[in-house]
Amino acid sequence: MFCIVSFIVLSILGIFSASNRSLAKEALDCVLRRVTFRPCTTGFDEKMKAKILGVVIMRSETLARLLNKYFEALAWAFFTLLLASSIIFARGLYLFYVTGSCNGLNQAAFCVFDPSGANNQVSTFAGCLNGEGDISKLTLEGVNLSDFPTLQPESAYRVVLIGCYTCDYTRKVYDSVLTLVRRYHTQLVFLHYPVNEKNDFLSRLGYCAYQQNPEGYWRLNEELIHSDKAMLSELTNGPSLLSTLKPETNRFLEALVSEAGLDAGRVLTCANDPATEAAVQRQMNEIVKTNFYGTPTLFIGDQVFVGPKPYRVYAIALKGLFFWLRS
Amino acid sequence: MNVEKIRQDFPALDSKRTRKAIVYFDTACQSLRPQVVIDAVNRYYLQEPACSGRSMHQWAAAVTREVDRARELMAKFLNASRAQEIIFTRNTTEGINLVANAFPFRAGDVVLVSDKEHNSNLIPWQMQVKQRGIELKIIPTCPDNTFDMDAFEALLDKRVKLVALGFTSNLDGVTIPAGEIIRKAHRVGAHVLLDAAQTAPHHPINVRALDVDFLALSGHKMLGPSGTGVLYGKYALLESLSPFLVGGDTVANSTYANCEFLPPPEKFEAGLQDYAGIIGLGAAVEYLQHIGFDTIRKQEALITYALSEQLKDISGLKIIGPADPALRGGVTTFYIEGVDSHRVALMLDQMANVLVRSGQHCVHSWFNARQIKGSVRASAYFYNTIEEANILAECLRKIRKVL
Ligand SMILES: Cc1ncc(COP(=O)(O)O)c(C=O)c1O
Repeated sequence: MFCIVSFIVLSILGIFSASNRSLAKEALDCVLRRVTFRPCTTGFDEKMKAKILGVVIMRSETLARLLNKYFEALAWAFFTLLLASSIIFARGLYLFYVTGSCNGLNQAAFCVFDPSGANNQVSTFAGCLNGEGDISKLTLEGVNLSDFPTLQPESAYRVVLIGCYTCDYTRKVYDSVLTLVRRYHTQLVFLHYPVNEKNDFLSRLGYCAYQQNPEGYWRLNEELIHSDKAMLSELTNGPSLLSTLKPETNRFLEALVSEAGLDAGRVLTCANDPATEAAVQRQMNEIVKTNFYGTPTLFIGDQVFVGPKPYRVYAIALKGLFFWLRS
Repeated sequence: MNVEKIRQDFPALDSKRTRKAIVYFDTACQSLRPQVVIDAVNRYYLQEPACSGRSMHQWAAAVTREVDRARELMAKFLNASRAQEIIFTRNTTEGINLVANAFPFRAGDVVLVSDKEHNSNLIPWQMQVKQRGIELKIIPTCPDNTFDMDAFEALLDKRVKLVALGFTSNLDGVTIPAGEIIRKAHRVGAHVLLDAAQTAPHHPINVRALDVDFLALSGHKMLGPSGTGVLYGKYALLESLSPFLVGGDTVANSTYANCEFLPPPEKFEAGLQDYAGIIGLGAAVEYLQHIGFDTIRKQEALITYALSEQLKDISGLKIIGPADPALRGGVTTFYIEGVDSHRVALMLDQMANVLVRSGQHCVHSWFNARQIKGSVRASAYFYNTIEEANILAECLRKIRKVL
């Protein structure tokens, strides 16, 4: 048993030092009972035991006596602990790889590989929503998605992203979601919910853009996601009536819409139209039915990802552990 | 004698340089080397790294001179009649093998050895039993491991052609009464080979006074470089022996069918030799003579006495060999009933950098016959101190409490 423990420990230490590597090799020989009988040498376990005792005895004779007496039992205990912690470690590593968190999907408890918990952060709102914070309630069932902007509608598989233009974590993940759906050619349904915003102006803007020109809408989406948040603050926090906007905000908005290849005049008029208001409200009501509690929330098949996960986590959900081997 | 001053001659003991205060009690395996020996070896490689005897150029001439000088120094050290009686070997083992293979044995000839010989003075004779049908007889020692003259005489008869004995035992440090043994052996016409591996470093040897026929020693146990040794043989005997290893440097001339061997020592020194080692061994001999055997033996005796006195009080610890430390030279070999000797040695190393030898010290036959698993051997030399002996004893007391 001692040989096994030593082999594991020394193999790990062997990464850092050559002398530990050679000891690890001796430990392996001991595990495999491959003792090389030099005339005056002794077994690896005996050697290590003597060395350990030699260190301990200089500190405490009582401890050395106990160690000598219960050496094998202690080796077992150590091995069990080592095994258990190795399993926990391996599981954590696997879960982190697959879900972006050591503790499983959307679990925000501490994870050494993501110490700041960045993969599980969400933007939440002050107001109350149904099922807030409860992952198990997140669902697309009964949610009518037909009215929402859909990228690559011709493909069979669907990925749904609930996000918000001014939220940091949506911004963090948006590009990798786009890369994902383009790479694996799936639909992307984007549900904009103004979590951070005092009004729904940007939802209305997006709604009108999509009505006018779907392709232009996706370009505008990207621009909004990457635009300076300070410039958007007047739009999202104020009364949102175009007539009251500062001239530079107005100019910024018009440029944004035009650059997306849209007719700025038409889109902005539409955004201020009370009929748009009603349509957007209907969309909001649909989004609320998902019971989401923060952005980004991404639905891939029957899995839900809350918070900005690394790209590989989405790719694994879509294509399996060996996603990089698939096209 | 100023031990501290002597210790300064040994770079391996310089704890400032090695960053560890090593307590070296394994001299019976190999001694440490003084700076003068290291310098002599280095000088060869740095200044005249050439062949001796073969080439004619200035470097070769210089090396030849140095090797001849080393041979002469060794001849004087042993009080041999002439330098040609000194054959350089790699070690004691090679010297004994040379005699075992070259000696003109006939089937039925008897070789006597003691019951506590180093494997190097046992296995070569076992091979001769198999190869040439000689008979190997074992002389039992007294219960305290000293030489049993009566048992020896009881085995001595006209069939005995060679008596091969460890002069000083590596197991317990006991030195045998070689002069008397040789006289008695010669009386029945037997020759005597002494394995002086453990004698040469600690006792003056006078081969002429002893009238010994062959004597083998190792340079590395007497401050010389590793892998050096000497076989002394009476010149007439050496002349009469066939060479053991043959080839380059052993012959004066050769045809496709035959050769003409050189006289001793060349005919026994086949192939290119360890010139650096031989020159270093010469330097070791000079250094030993400069220190003097009186000094050496006094310091060893002090340490063996101090150790023995302290070890006596450790329960279950048994010292191998005679109770009187004065009979054990610098060697203190012991075992603790029920405790693995390797474990003790490794713990000593770990606890206080005390380096000792553990196991059966290549005298397996003795241990097997007595069913003793192994022992720990602390072998001291003149560079060891009483403080070091105290450290060893203190560690052993601790170990005893724990194991
Ligand atoms: C008594 C004795 N004989 C022979 C030998 C063998 O010496 P070497 O290994 O130098 O040939 C030793 C070495 O320990 C020894 O102590």
